[in-house]
Amino acid sequence: MFSIKNLQYRYPNNEEDTIKGIDFEIKTGEIFGLLGPSGVGKSTTQKILTRQLDNFRGEIRYQDKSITEYDKNFYQDIGVGFEMPVHFSKLTAEENLDFFKKLYSSRADTDQMLKRLGLYSDKDKKVGEFSKGMKVRLNFIRALLNNPRMLFLDEPTNGLDPKNARIIKNMIAEFKAEGGTVLLTTHLMNDVEELCDQVAFMADGKIVEINTPKNLKLEYGSRQLKVEYSDNAEVKEANFKLDDLGENQKFLQVIKNNRILTMHSQEMTLDNIFIKITGGS
Amino acid sequence: MTVFLTLFLGELQRMKKYHILTASILVSFFWIGMLHLIEVPDITAFFMILVFFDIVSMAIVMIGVTIFFEKQEGVLKSLFVAPINRLEFISSKTIANLISNLITIAIVYLYALIVQDININVVGLLLAIILIGTFHSFVGFLIVYRSKGFTEMLIGMMKYFIVFMIPVALEEFGLITGDLFSNILFLLPTKASSTLITATTGGPITGEVILATVYLLIGTLVLAYFVNKGFRKFVIRESGV
Ligand SMILES: Nc1ncnc2c1ncn2[C@@H]1O[C@H](COP(=O)(O)OP(=O)(O)OP(=O)(O)O)[C@@H](O)[C@H]1O
Ligand SMILES: [Mg+2]
Repeated sequence: MFSIKNLQYRYPNNEEDTIKGIDFEIKTGEIFGLLGPSGVGKSTTQKILTRQLDNFRGEIRYQDKSITEYDKNFYQDIGVGFEMPVHFSKLTAEENLDFFKKLYSSRADTDQMLKRLGLYSDKDKKVGEFSKGMKVRLNFIRALLNNPRMLFLDEPTNGLDPKNARIIKNMIAEFKAEGGTVLLTTHLMNDVEELCDQVAFMADGKIVEINTPKNLKLEYGSRQLKVEYSDNAEVKEANFKLDDLGENQKFLQVIKNNRILTMHSQEMTLDNIFIKITGGS
Repeated sequence: MTVFLTLFLGELQRMKKYHILTASILVSFFWIGMLHLIEVPDITAFFMILVFFDIVSMAIVMIGVTIFFEKQEGVLKSLFVAPINRLEFISSKTIANLISNLITIAIVYLYALIVQDININVVGLLLAIILIGTFHSFVGFLIVYRSKGFTEMLIGMMKYFIVFMIPVALEEFGLITGDLFSNILFLLPTKASSTLITATTGGPITGEVILATVYLLIGTLVLAYFVNKGFRKFVIRESGV
């Protein structure tokens, strides 16, 4: 759906490129995670792809056409979620949504989304009186109000309580299930693991690794099993290679003769992979 | 509904919600108060000066302030990831601004017509307000483009008022006279504006009036070019950067 080749970008007042040549492809129907340390250029990349920043170098194609060749109707297809508040503070949530909705040819059922995200009873409140998390939820609805085919989300659950974060994640998964494509930026590795089909790690303006979350864990993990068991009222711990586990006599003895307390395979967590890949050193 | 109409109606809705409409009406009551208190044999001349002040200053201030806050609230970003283009945005905002200008002046005019005796060419005044209001709305756009913060914007507006409005006002009030001064003033768009407004009180259409009209028409087109050209850069620029 989106293909990015050798993308480079420098902010007008900066001396150095923020994006130093990145390539990736977002396939239709997938959730693509863009990860990396703070300040690396994730939001910048999102802004370039959504044409909020001009004068990039390299090539960005959306459905086989350069994004620079599209007119304003490019935005009929895409939904953009912002990190910052983007609503008229003196208008109510509903007035804001109604206004923005009318700018598009396709309009989603925002009442239903307001209900789902627990904002329906606040819909007649001015957005300026909303709490931070309420604004974040409203931004998410803003991104979806034109039934987009492609969704750009920049830390959509940032600052949300677990319950609302859960709802947003479910809505993202449903969006994908209905054929939508997503570019997702987040610092929450649990969200990545749960949602993303592909992840790209950025470091120093470049992409240093692109893979599926599962492959990354296999690649970076140690394929071991850590077992905690009690042996004569004493807690003991042992590690076993996952390969040939069924023939590992010591392992078989342990599970036969002891009470097992915990048992965990030791694929690396995405958190650790993140630090390892982007950490430099 | 077309995008333009949506934007335009949105502007009107916000004029109400952000109390810009209330402010316009208050301003017109302020003007009415002045008209009432001032004791001059001919109210018409005073009304003209008042229209001049109102249209030039309000057109600039309203555009500057609304765009500034829209940028600060982040709504400009949100607007420009929707299928609208800058021409639709600029024109809807300018026309809405003209309407708020017209409301103020209409209220004052009605007062002057009913309570005092005033005789002006209403159609002529309407056209003059549209031309002058558009020109100065564009000035408002350019000032807000060039300002990094609210104070800087206010200072920009002040500079415009001092350099362009005060000399014309001094001449209008007859405080400064002299042909040379008058001729130099013709370089200013504000002089052209006041000439046009004064022309609506009747009298023949002189070369001066035609010149002023042409000046403002061409000036409006030139400003429109720069307003349109600079808009994208302004939207992209982060507030405060
Ligand atoms: N408007 C701007 N002008 C100049 N430099 C900018 C601007 N916006 C961002 N930058 C710089 O570009 C770099 C990347 O910023 P960006 O917002 O893309 O980071 P990010 O990866 O999204 O970080 P975070 O995880 O904190 O959101 C930073 O060094 C930042 O200082
Ligand atoms: Mg960011």
